Amino acid sequence: MIAGGAFLYLSIKKVIYKQIDNSLITEKTIIEDQIKQTDTIPDFEAAFGHQIEVKLLNYSVRNFQSIKDTNIYDQKTDSFIPFRYIYYSGNTHQKKGFIITILQLTSEKNELLQDVSLYMFFLFFSLLLISILINYLIARKLWRPFYNSVKIAGRFDIQSDKPLELPETDIIEFNQLNEVFDNMTRKMRNDYLNLKEFSENASHEIQTPLAIIRSKTELLMQQKKLNKESLSLIKSINEAVSRLFKLNQGLLLISKIENQVFHEIKLVSLKKITVQGLENYKEIMQLKNIKVEIDASDEALVEMNEVLADVLISNLLSNAVRFNIDGGFIRCNIDNKYLTIANSGLPLSFNPEDLFRRFHKNSTNPQSVGLGLSIVKKIADSYGMLITYTCHDATHELKLQYRLKVNKEQSFR
Amino acid sequence: MKVLIVEDDRSLSRSINDYLKMEGHICEVALTFNGALEKTSVNKYDCIILDIGLPDGNGLDLIRKMKSNRLTGGILVLSAKSSLDDKLNGFKIGADDYLTKPFHFAELSARINSIYRRNNFLGMNEITFNEIKINTEDNQVYVKDRLLTLTKKEFDLLLFFVANRNRIVTKESIVEHLWGDNVILTDSFDFVYTHVKNLRKKIVAAEGRNYIKCIYGFGYQFTDN
Repeated sequence: MIAGGAFLYLSIKKVIYKQIDNSLITEKTIIEDQIKQTDTIPDFEAAFGHQIEVKLLNYSVRNFQSIKDTNIYDQKTDSFIPFRYIYYSGNTHQKKGFIITILQLTSEKNELLQDVSLYMFFLFFSLLLISILINYLIARKLWRPFYNSVKIAGRFDIQSDKPLELPETDIIEFNQLNEVFDNMTRKMRNDYLNLKEFSENASHEIQTPLAIIRSKTELLMQQKKLNKESLSLIKSINEAVSRLFKLNQGLLLISKIENQVFHEIKLVSLKKITVQGLENYKEIMQLKNIKVEIDASDEALVEMNEVLADVLISNLLSNAVRFNIDGGFIRCNIDNKYLTIANSGLPLSFNPEDLFRRFHKNSTNPQSVGLGLSIVKKIADSYGMLITYTCHDATHELKLQYRLKVNKEQSFR
Repeated sequence: MKVLIVEDDRSLSRSINDYLKMEGHICEVALTFNGALEKTSVNKYDCIILDIGLPDGNGLDLIRKMKSNRLTGGILVLSAKSSLDDKLNGFKIGADDYLTKPFHFAELSARINSIYRRNNFLGMNEITFNEIKINTEDNQVYVKDRLLTLTKKEFDLLLFFVANRNRIVTKESIVEHLWGDNVILTDSFDFVYTHVKNLRKKIVAAEGRNYIKCIYGFGYQFTDN
């Protein structure tokens, strides 16, 4: 566009100059002819903006012609005025030289050029604007189904129970794209549901064999005349079964949270649950000489399932107790925004980002199943709460951020 | 007492049968819904241990049928699903208690005993073990007719021991009995020791015998021989 504009400007300029030059040459030729015929300076009347000078010489000169731009100082306006001029020297038939100088004011031609350029510029500019606008409108109409699909596909959640539904469009290509999208997500959803169903069924089916193993070992251990060795073997089996059982229970719980089995929601006080939970761990904490401080400035009433609230707090406390050191401490802080549980302990032996991942466990504690905190995260996520972990100077802090349920009656007052 | 075990898994029903027989109960086993229906219409049981997931019917329907036939006897529901709905439905229909698989036999035994006590009012709320007398109605314990002051947990522990007398009771089952599912993810059960120690001390201080035997790394046995 700019190149085109420049080219056009230069072309127009060239045309105008050519015109000026032609008129200069024509005029010169007329005067030259007259001089050649009469040997005298002809009578001429300069047109407006023209200045003609003719000089007759007594000697012959070289035949020469040049056309140039020049500025001439004008006293009246105290400025330089642009001229185009032709300088011509030639000889008459009597070999006497003459010089013709014709000046042509170019400022008005320049003004013409400027005006033309300006109009051209406006014309081009508006053309540009219109073409951009039309382009945009067409593109918007043309791509609307595409953006619609992208928006819907972007909201796709494999865990939601609704399949992806993309709207039909008039455009074949987009329909093809939508079809591919539909098929892909349908397959993804089916795979996901199968997998979920499988893990659920597997967890359920494992319960009965586990129950059998446990029942047999418990029968075995009641037998008389068992020696120390056999008892110790039974003990190991029992421990392994218990671990498997806990693992299975944890997985079942996670899949239940995912399936939103716990849909009964109620107003629960996190403070109350925490205090009760601490009571449950009293004996273990006494054994480990753990000092407990609780500072609750709020009841922390939130809307959630009671069982899950219990599991959430219980797992947090269990974590704080279990990874504590002998003679350590637990500090609970509850206000209207956060529930913070800080505990002393050994420094973390792995990346804190892995803390909430399933089966990520501390190598120093092989007994742990590695599900506790991922259950916590799952519960927190399902209620839009935020759980974060920080650690400084071997003090581990888990912070739960929640939104309180505002009592309507209170807020009206 | 007479117990009917309704459980479709042969191996598991046999284990339960064996254990309860050791406890001195009379047991019968039904493997199917219809078998259970038949047995309950002919015989009278003090307690029925009922698995919900039967191959030819839902255990909850069995409870409904039995209740409509005005059959007495406590019902303990067993389920592989620890789902709250099953539990609540079971209680609503008339089950007395609920236990999730896998369970500890000690727990099963304690539950059955408690169901039996609750359903039989005639002097059954007093359990006697030699010089120890436990009143389950007002939660009081007497050793040689002297009142013993026990904490709630110590009382529960003693009751648990007596219900499983002469059996080895694991620390784990004690923890699950006294603290419930709340401490399910705890891996050390050493804190049970403190409670056992205190209970033993109190009984001995009241001139009772020390019945609590520690079984190597495992658990305890409440026995008088």
